[in-house]
Amino acid sequence: MKTILPFFMLFFCGFSYAQTTITGSVVDDSSQPIPGANIIVVDTSTGTVTDFDGNFSLTYNQSPPFFIQASSVGFETVTVEITTTNQKVNIILNEGNALDEVVISASRTPERIFESPVTVERFGLKAIKNTASADFYGGLENLKGVDVNTNSLTFKSVNTRGFATFANNRFMQLVDGMDNSTPALNFPIGNLVGMTETDVLSVELLPGASSALYGANAFNGILFMRSKNPFDHQGISTSVKKGITSQKASGDNDYIDVSIRAAYKFSNKFAAKINFGYLQGTDWAATSEVDKTTPGGTRADLNYDGINVYGDEVSTNLKKVIESDVFLDKLAESGTNPAVVSLVPLVEVSRTGYNEKDLTDYNAESIKSDWGLYYRPWEDDFEISYVGKVGTGSTIYQGTNRYNIANFFQEQHKIEFRNDNFFLRGYIVADKAGDSYDMVFTGININRAWKDDNTWFGEYTGAYIASTLGGATDAQAHAAGRATADTGRYLPGTDEYIAAFNKSINDPDLSTGSKFQDASKYSHADANYNFSHLIDFADIQVGGSYRKYSLNSSGTIYTDLDGPIEYSEFGIYTQIQKNLELTEDLELKLTGSVRYDKSEFFDGFLSPRISAGLTINKIHNVRASVQTGFRNPTTQDLFIGLNAGRAILIGAAPENLERYSSTFDISTSGQALGQGETITQTGAVAYNNSYTASSVTELGETGDPSVLEISNPDLVKAEKVSSAEVGYRGKFSNLIVDFSAYYNKYKDFISQEVVVSPYYGTVGDGSLSVAAIANDDFQAYSTYTNSPADVNSYGASIGLSTKVFGNFDLSGSYTYAKLDFDRVKYPDFTTNFNTPEHKFKASFGNTKLFENFGFNIAYRFSDDYYWEATFGNGVVPEFHTVDAQINLKVPSMKSTFKAGATNLLGDEYFTAFGTGFIGSMYYVSWTINNL
Amino acid sequence: MKKTIINSKYILLLASLISIIACNDIDDVLADNNVEAAEILPELTPGSVDFSNYVALGASFTSGYTDGALFIAAQENSFPNILAQQFVNANGTDFTQPLMNDNTGGMIIPIPGQDDLPYRLIFNGEAPQRLDEFLMELGATAPEVTTNVTNSLAADGSIFKNVGVPGAKSTHIDFNGYAAFNPYFGRMATSSSVSMLEYAINQNPTFFTLSEIGGNDVLGYATTGGDGSDPLTLTATFDFLFNDMVTQLLATGAKGIVTNVPYITDLPHFTTIVYNQLDPNDDDIGPLLVPQIPTLNASLYGPLDAIFTGYGEPDRINILSTTEANPLLIFDENATDRSAEITGALTSTLGVEMATAFGFIFGKSRQATSNDLIVLSASSAIASIATDIPSPVNITGISYPMSDKWVLTPEEQEEIKTATDAYNSTIETIANTNDNLALVDLNAILTELASTGITFGDFTMNANLVTGGAVSLDGIHLTARGYSYMAYKFLEAIDTTFGSNFIESGNIPNPGDFPTNYSPTLQ
Repeated sequence: MKTILPFFMLFFCGFSYAQTTITGSVVDDSSQPIPGANIIVVDTSTGTVTDFDGNFSLTYNQSPPFFIQASSVGFETVTVEITTTNQKVNIILNEGNALDEVVISASRTPERIFESPVTVERFGLKAIKNTASADFYGGLENLKGVDVNTNSLTFKSVNTRGFATFANNRFMQLVDGMDNSTPALNFPIGNLVGMTETDVLSVELLPGASSALYGANAFNGILFMRSKNPFDHQGISTSVKKGITSQKASGDNDYIDVSIRAAYKFSNKFAAKINFGYLQGTDWAATSEVDKTTPGGTRADLNYDGINVYGDEVSTNLKKVIESDVFLDKLAESGTNPAVVSLVPLVEVSRTGYNEKDLTDYNAESIKSDWGLYYRPWEDDFEISYVGKVGTGSTIYQGTNRYNIANFFQEQHKIEFRNDNFFLRGYIVADKAGDSYDMVFTGININRAWKDDNTWFGEYTGAYIASTLGGATDAQAHAAGRATADTGRYLPGTDEYIAAFNKSINDPDLSTGSKFQDASKYSHADANYNFSHLIDFADIQVGGSYRKYSLNSSGTIYTDLDGPIEYSEFGIYTQIQKNLELTEDLELKLTGSVRYDKSEFFDGFLSPRISAGLTINKIHNVRASVQTGFRNPTTQDLFIGLNAGRAILIGAAPENLERYSSTFDISTSGQALGQGETITQTGAVAYNNSYTASSVTELGETGDPSVLEISNPDLVKAEKVSSAEVGYRGKFSNLIVDFSAYYNKYKDFISQEVVVSPYYGTVGDGSLSVAAIANDDFQAYSTYTNSPADVNSYGASIGLSTKVFGNFDLSGSYTYAKLDFDRVKYPDFTTNFNTPEHKFKASFGNTKLFENFGFNIAYRFSDDYYWEATFGNGVVPEFHTVDAQINLKVPSMKSTFKAGATNLLGDEYFTAFGTGFIGSMYYVSWTINNL
Repeated sequence: MKKTIINSKYILLLASLISIIACNDIDDVLADNNVEAAEILPELTPGSVDFSNYVALGASFTSGYTDGALFIAAQENSFPNILAQQFVNANGTDFTQPLMNDNTGGMIIPIPGQDDLPYRLIFNGEAPQRLDEFLMELGATAPEVTTNVTNSLAADGSIFKNVGVPGAKSTHIDFNGYAAFNPYFGRMATSSSVSMLEYAINQNPTFFTLSEIGGNDVLGYATTGGDGSDPLTLTATFDFLFNDMVTQLLATGAKGIVTNVPYITDLPHFTTIVYNQLDPNDDDIGPLLVPQIPTLNASLYGPLDAIFTGYGEPDRINILSTTEANPLLIFDENATDRSAEITGALTSTLGVEMATAFGFIFGKSRQATSNDLIVLSASSAIASIATDIPSPVNITGISYPMSDKWVLTPEEQEEIKTATDAYNSTIETIANTNDNLALVDLNAILTELASTGITFGDFTMNANLVTGGAVSLDGIHLTARGYSYMAYKFLEAIDTTFGSNFIESGNIPNPGDFPTNYSPTLQ
């Protein structure tokens, strides 16, 4: 019988050929596509698998009716009857549990999260719909092990496993495979120019190094966002969210967040989509007046430097004033005995600063749009697409200083060719800094526009002396000094203040202004080929990437005054994955990957990763992996040349050193040693004639020149991490356990080291250079180098989730992170570990408490920890915060209504030193047709 | 039923996640990150001293005398009071002082033949000036002096811990009847016969400071230019008196601290007026001086130069220069007397009478050198008209030699130094041989102040008048800040000798809290 049937078929082929094409998609019960699901015609060998987006297209040479069956590991198998030719079917598979979720980032190929060779977190459509956070990006902070450092409503910085500041260039963010880090800054500005919520398909997060597949920068981890393909998700969907932000410092302010997605499939060959997002609110005002440099200092202190008070960074030792010729000449002119200067104490005094609130309007805004054209010439998995993305917005960025990023603009354009087995894509990312400015320098330069520093300090000192002679105590004399020097100071709100403010923010020269000017860009190409359909014994992939940077800040950040700086890097990689069924109950999955990267400036690097995953009884998976990662110095590390006030930042590219130069005045004492009145130094001195900053401080305290320590830091090179990780995922009854532990060993940690270069003398000469330090004839530089310190970190996290009281979801996670570093031995080195030792998160909710109604409550705890960054160091105190939402689905309107609040307890907290306190948000939203 | 049990088990498991969180404290976090918390100073221990009844015995420094006067604000910043404020933390009790009645610095002394004490000095922008004069020049009235020596503070039975009496010499300390001679002691003395020492001992001190004894014994001689009107106390006398007062104080069972005597000639009272201030280039003096130089040289300096040169002293007087600073003309009791030679040489040109007068006036004259010290009070005398002397040889310091009381010649300075060294030898011997006595080396302090300067807190003080920060406007006594440093040195000596830890525990005065000047408007 078996042999007869084919014969018959052949026989009929000639004249009664019938063909049925079925297209459709396979999604899980939360409408999430299931890539790689098997579709077969029941009782035949005809079949296919779904693509990345869960779509399939199946051609069968018989007429309906017949049955097709969809199956995927961890899902219940579903059979559907096909009754018409060219029928479109959408199949829903019921998810087994969270372990069955499919991820593609861990191995660059779809696999169940359960079997992923490394730790990976997934934030799918269901989670996005149920998050209590104000938006999906904020919702990431409920993921296990994730830190979301909040700088602004529109700039949240995601990180895992520590070592991040807001300039998190160790963490990569990909949107549909496209890096959306800002060319000027080398890191993504949160979701400012990222994705609109209605277009988000899934978000995956790989904690830890992923250099083996993703190259440099995928060092702390990757955030992997995917959008909805218009072939699979069509129609118009909208979300409107309105609410208020509530913060003690800035009060209650309106907030609106709108996203619209429109997608249309014109034919089986062509589909297109367009997205638009608009968010507007008022940022968390940063109003801390705590002294940044003196513990317990207050505004009344002489050398006050408030965290969010700017202009007071300018400080000088009155010794400098009383030794200055200008000051002594003034005394002589007024007929005063110059000996009165000995009444002046040798203390540091800072100028009077302006509050950040007076230097920004705290507008938080994000306007973004993207569009895509998708073409499938053969109506199969081969697709050509063009995606364009533009975003503009206003936010706050905190780097060395705090920046008001206003009307920042970024565009991205991508062309991609792909099918199930390969992709080839190229894209460019370009930015324009818009009206952005440095708020710290705005404060400084409003002051200077009114009265230059020398005059101010001279008046201060003069009044100090006069008051002392008039009978004042030290404190009274300082008060009189400040009052005199501040006479006529521009007060916020006055015409002269506004004029000086406007002048400053439009002037990119940091000695007089504060405009942040940039129009950098990079172009990138990526390719990947998966040989799994050609080779049977193992799954093999190869790929590569190329990137070219073009830095263009017109000399305001980089040393690119004479034209853009260009350089490039490339990488190639391969991965082999092999499944071995050891016994019926024991399955071993081995994965090996290796990547080679080469940047124009650095030696090439091989970064391997090997991992093994053992699945026991299909419900327990134990994994172990070892990998190395590396990170090339960023564009700033290499090419910056910027006087940031307290230090001059000099990037470490060899050609960069001589490109930055500045001229300094030599003190009278220095001139007495035979030096000229001024000296011009290039940035090279920071690397070849410098002392460590801590030893110069020690010299100041002890007066012992032998404590001086030569610094002369090496030029920066790539930093490396070796990482070992073990993990377990499994299921006990209906409790799901997800555990991982890691140990990271860093080598050549890229760090900024503050050094001090004397204006004359050679460091270590024991005489002239020491005299230069003693005479205050030196400049502090911030250099980019690699720390010889052994920096290790380790940590673990465990996540538990289950159903309780019927169908309530209860989950919780605990994350431990610890830095192992000899701080005493390397006092000048900051690791920027910046993550709490203990984090705890929990979530409780029910998507169907009753018909169409659900709720979710999320709780987060973060322990006290110490934040280190160039802007300032300080403790981030522990916090507890609760977010909650309730939602109602109205199927007849295709709508979901949601009301929620973040930080429901109202206890304001912050996640990084120097930022505004995070208040509460209360919102209601209406989402239409977002399946 | 079983399901419920399982469920609650999971909840417990989740809850256990919370409980394993061993939280960090902020302090732990700071310590882990090597951030220095505010330094924790050790607790204060008083060592072997009982500070419960501290009595200060001494002279003007002890009283708080400053700016040429004694007044409330200055007394509050007296070094014993500053010390007492630190002693409070070590069992000390209230420290009482015989406060003046106001801040004028003056005192009414309605006794025939005795002058009222003047107002305090203030800095008028150029120089020290008496407060009343300053205010009068501005057209303001000076506040009334309300302290009257006849208003006895002891009338109500009050007795004061601060027994600092401006002007007291070693010879006065145990002098019964001193109350009648010193208005400061007079107004506080409990009887006309009580001595300062008795007054102090009667209070049964547990701790005493016996400060600046010997100071006025040399100072009186020095401020009078060593003219002999206020002679140095004999060393033997000093030895006996000092030994006696220390013995009596220690006999009470108290512990105490003594000071030695500084080289007072380093004080600005003796170093401010420069010997060669007849400077043709000086904006103020030059225009007046230069036109007269030819006449002075022709009629006075030239002839005197010739005579002294003729007798083997070519540099005793040189003609005045019109470009370089010229020294003052002074009287030197130790100079070789050439009056007869001068009279002889000038008789032919000036006539006998005038030549004799010249001989008398200039016989022991010479030009000052850098080795001479001119006292501060001479400033008003320089270029003033000498009374009863015929013009044109009556311009003090220019055409008339400055008298002995304005100048400390090297010989006089040597006498002062010899006396000081002798006193100090006695003081140090006594201090070093007695376990209950500590010593503050005021001598070393002034030497340091006058040479390298002294860094105290954020300030670097030196011994210059007005600008130095340590010595008050009278050029001898300290400013409040100077006294605060003195107190600091006392604490240091107490720590060293008696095992307390004022310095280490941070119980020290902050120099910034103590002004260098008192405002003219201070009432």
